[in-house]
Amino acid sequence: MMKPRQEIRNHLRHYRLMADGMTQQDLADRVEVTRQTIVSIEKGNYNPTVVLALRIAHVFGISVETLFELEKGERDDRD
Amino acid sequence: MTGINAKSWWRPRPASMIAACLIIAGLILSNTSWWFFILVGLGIFGPGLLREFGALRDKDEFQSRSTHRAGYHAFLAAGIIAAIFVAYNRSGERNLKEPEELATLFLVVLWFTWLLSSLLSFVGAKRAAVRILIGYGAFWLLFSAASHITEPAALLMEGLMVTGPFFVLAFLSRRWPRLSGFLLIAATAFFLYRFQWYEIGRSGLVNQCVVMILFLGPLLASGIALLTVRPALEQATER
Repeated sequence: MMKPRQEIRNHLRHYRLMADGMTQQDLADRVEVTRQTIVSIEKGNYNPTVVLALRIAHVFGISVETLFELEKGERDDRD
Repeated sequence: MTGINAKSWWRPRPASMIAACLIIAGLILSNTSWWFFILVGLGIFGPGLLREFGALRDKDEFQSRSTHRAGYHAFLAAGIIAAIFVAYNRSGERNLKEPEELATLFLVVLWFTWLLSSLLSFVGAKRAAVRILIGYGAFWLLFSAASHITEPAALLMEGLMVTGPFFVLAFLSRRWPRLSGFLLIAATAFFLYRFQWYEIGRSGLVNQCVVMILFLGPLLASGIALLTVRPALEQATER
């Protein structure tokens, strides 16, 4: 019911697994949300707020733009 | 933020525990005086009010957004129901004589819509359906136990025949969600026909609506939710 229009793609799962196989619960604990929130972000069912996106990016030491990007169609519309 | 990072699969929040105690106390004490029913209202709506005023911060942003969205869905559903009842009542010589039954209907519609929307938003269709079925089966099991507490044979029979299928469906829906969804919708249609609930007004329109929402609503909602499950996506990132 809350599924967004898929205008944002994220690489959260990729960077999480690259971080020594961090679990969803570990990441959830570090950014102070529930594991289900992390699951929903990874599935594309939920787009986090700017604050949460920044916190997650900070955990992996990367920028928000590296972690989240607009879908190709959305990028073309902006150009 | 208290209680957000629950490591076990289910750990009720303190606010939820207190709310549950208020609801149970209110329901029991209502037998002595209906003024105690206010405790039920406090239990149901109190935690939400505290969260909106910032006095309780036990939900993360996703949970809060799901809750707000569910509240909007409940508002829409109750509004539609209200419009239908006004149209029905004013369109002919019909008198809805028990206003408390109407209030019960709106509470049921609000609660059921909010619960369903919250579950679907927060845990997804398959998990929501499993939880609904387990809760539904547990409720009927408790009801059967209370009804046949001195009749072990009847309790066993009713437990197996009536509540057993819901637990079985909850288990099957994890593996075969769409098949389970079809079975649930078929069961809904069966109960609708078997108990003749399609005959409007047999036992009072308002009471009939409340019973249908509480009895058939969970089955139909679970069935429809399971039909929307995409197995590959559900298994994608669960770790």
